[in-house]
Amino acid sequence: MELLERDIRGQICPSTLLVALQEINRHQARLRDGSLTLRLLTDNRDCLVTIPESARNMGYAAEVARVDAHYAIEIRRA
Amino acid sequence: MTTEPHLFLMAVSLALGLATGALLHRSDICFAGIFRDLFLFRRTDMLRILVLLVTATALLFELARLAGLLPLYPFPLLYAPTAANVVGGVLFGVGMVLAGGCVVGTLVRLGAGSLASLFALAGLFAGSALYGEIHIPWKAFIGATTFLPGRTTVPQLLGVAPTLPVLAAALAAGVLLARWARAGALHRASPATGHLQPWKAALLLSVVSLLSYVLIGLPMGITTSYAKIAGWLESLVAPAHVAASAFFRGVPLDVVHPVTGAPLRGGPGPRFDAIAAIQFPLAAGIVLGALLSARLVGELRMHVNVPPRQLAWAFSGGVIMGLASRMAPTCNIWHLLGGLPILSLSSILFVAGLLPGAWLGGRMLTAWVVPAR
Repeated sequence: MELLERDIRGQICPSTLLVALQEINRHQARLRDGSLTLRLLTDNRDCLVTIPESARNMGYAAEVARVDAHYAIEIRRA
Repeated sequence: MTTEPHLFLMAVSLALGLATGALLHRSDICFAGIFRDLFLFRRTDMLRILVLLVTATALLFELARLAGLLPLYPFPLLYAPTAANVVGGVLFGVGMVLAGGCVVGTLVRLGAGSLASLFALAGLFAGSALYGEIHIPWKAFIGATTFLPGRTTVPQLLGVAPTLPVLAAALAAGVLLARWARAGALHRASPATGHLQPWKAALLLSVVSLLSYVLIGLPMGITTSYAKIAGWLESLVAPAHVAASAFFRGVPLDVVHPVTGAPLRGGPGPRFDAIAAIQFPLAAGIVLGALLSARLVGELRMHVNVPPRQLAWAFSGGVIMGLASRMAPTCNIWHLLGGLPILSLSSILFVAGLLPGAWLGGRMLTAWVVPAR
């Protein structure tokens, strides 16, 4: 499985969520067939709620992990 | 004026700012996001928190008024309704969405290390300076469109004591809040380190707002300090222009401080006065409170790999917001945490403008700032 990482730390609100939704839509075929995991690096605390919630509403699995001073949100097939 | 009341004001404001910065950082309450996400993502979770915050603040203010703790009621710098409230609200809504945060959110994010917020803050200074150039015609517009002169609140409009209208509004909001609480809709699960439930933060912020009104004599406000900085920066290059400016020469605050009995006078001009003593420590406290909060959870970092387009729009949003906060007049925090709780007519009009402004800002954001690829 390929891991695609996007660093969106420091971006203004709500760019973090908008970019995340764009990336999910752009790679939806591979996310849905399970060949890709999308990993988003963010320092936006609010998005730790909104991105996983949006991803789950779209039928994906989403996990949040703390990494150093920021967070990683992994989105993959449910 | 002696320095003692100034020291008192500075100490109280700094403490209130520290609390506000830390509470907003830990709870992720973003006043710009509340309105923006309503239109952009159809999210209403934080709007419910705002309803709780305004309702709790309204009840606390009214209790304090009945207890005789608010001799300045309605508070100073609150004016009769005018079309300028709506126009300013619309522009403020656009600006706060483009800037990625309102006047307070910008300070909170700056404290947590946001480079974009630094650009937004610079824009706020520029927008405040820009207003100085349109102050005279805008003041004429305010004068021409002011209606219900001498009446600043709904109770004054109705000719009744504030208790009944405030309780009626709080009861209506309370029914909604009780329904949301039963459905668990006021709870927000977050994996963020040290996350504070927004409903708890809202209740604590209502106490902070009350303390500001009781101890300072005014609810929290920041944007006149931005105008002061703008005036000072402008005076470095055009001192005669600033000295002659009707805007910077104005002294709209002229009351007796209810706690110390000292005269409180101040305005947007680049000088040390009561406004400076109140607002600079408050703004510094918010930045410092967020900084300390971010440091304590190990998240204090500044990331510089922000798309230049976002930085440019953050600055532009700041300019629009700085201009709007003087046109409205004053900002969303003043109206949401001060005016709305006492049913201020100008605050109701400001929020009525804020809603379409946030919608428009969201459209501009998705079209220009984060365009679909």
